[in-house]
Amino acid sequence: MYDTDKIFNELRSTLAELFELDPARITLDARLSEDLEIDSIDAIDLMDRLRRQTGRKFSIESFRSVRTVRDLVQAIHALVNEG
Amino acid sequence: MALAVDTPSIAAIERRPIRDLYYLRVVSTGLSFLLFGVVGTFLGVVAVPLLLAIPGSRAARRSRVRRMIRLAFRALVGFMNRTGAISYRFSGAELLGKPGQLVIANHPSLIDIVLLIAFVPDAACVVKRAAWRNPSMVIAVHAAGYIANAPTESMIEQASALLDTGECLIMFPEGTRTVPDQPSYFHRGAASVAIRAARVVTPVFIDVRPPHLSKAVPWYRVPAIRPHYSLSVGPDIDPLPYRDGPPPVASRTLNAYLKSCYASVLRTT
Repeated sequence: MYDTDKIFNELRSTLAELFELDPARITLDARLSEDLEIDSIDAIDLMDRLRRQTGRKFSIESFRSVRTVRDLVQAIHALVNEG
Repeated sequence: MALAVDTPSIAAIERRPIRDLYYLRVVSTGLSFLLFGVVGTFLGVVAVPLLLAIPGSRAARRSRVRRMIRLAFRALVGFMNRTGAISYRFSGAELLGKPGQLVIANHPSLIDIVLLIAFVPDAACVVKRAAWRNPSMVIAVHAAGYIANAPTESMIEQASALLDTGECLIMFPEGTRTVPDQPSYFHRGAASVAIRAARVVTPVFIDVRPPHLSKAVPWYRVPAIRPHYSLSVGPDIDPLPYRDGPPPVASRTLNAYLKSCYASVLRTT
């Protein structure tokens, strides 16, 4: 089982690589669109990557209410540990 | 008598005395809309079902409908041209319609899509969602396999899948009609689709002088002089070198490049 710390660490390196961000900016409280400038098109690229990384069927719908990195970590945690 | 050579500002055009059979142009512009609605509805209700009834694969039926739309739009463009509502020149149209080609264009006028579809063989396009709510368009856009515009995964995936199977796709990165003399925004959806699936990206530069059927003006306020549409096909852009980086970075870089191409070509012509 993945715990949230591990998910956060992996997510941070994924975001840093995919969007060429400074990892220091990627904190749990960082807002995806305002602070990290990740828009709806980026979210689609991110979904693709998460699907490949986890082998789970992520859909944009499962991230509707995601605003911050913490929300995203929790959403991934819920999906990964679903069964 | 000298024709207007340099580019007059919109304000200067507005002040100019009317000419080029102004009132006839109001009538023929109105008739063009009427034809679009009436013929469009007829084709959707009668012709599309007949075309779909002829046996063939799904792809064959689809391209039959696309051909019908292309011929209908060609006729509409011909009508607008002959009745003097517009004049146009499309240079390089023969370079469009290649397999896996993403054709992009700027979007100054309501009829840009009509002109493009009229001259690009067997192309699909991403069109505004309102087309699916318009009774004279819904049947045809559906049967032709056009894609509804939205910055969603479904749009990006449908568009990419279509290019992957070797079809030609038309997209307007500006998303919606631009307002004359206002800076436009290039949405990254087209660049993202290009990075994912296009074999080649071909820009079409549309210049309408004076502005016509733009967002700011109702259709019956036709310009003082006959509007001229100049469509020119730019050199192919190979998306391959952009694919080295991660997709979000690649689509941003390509989008910035496309935007700069349009800014430089349309400012200097």
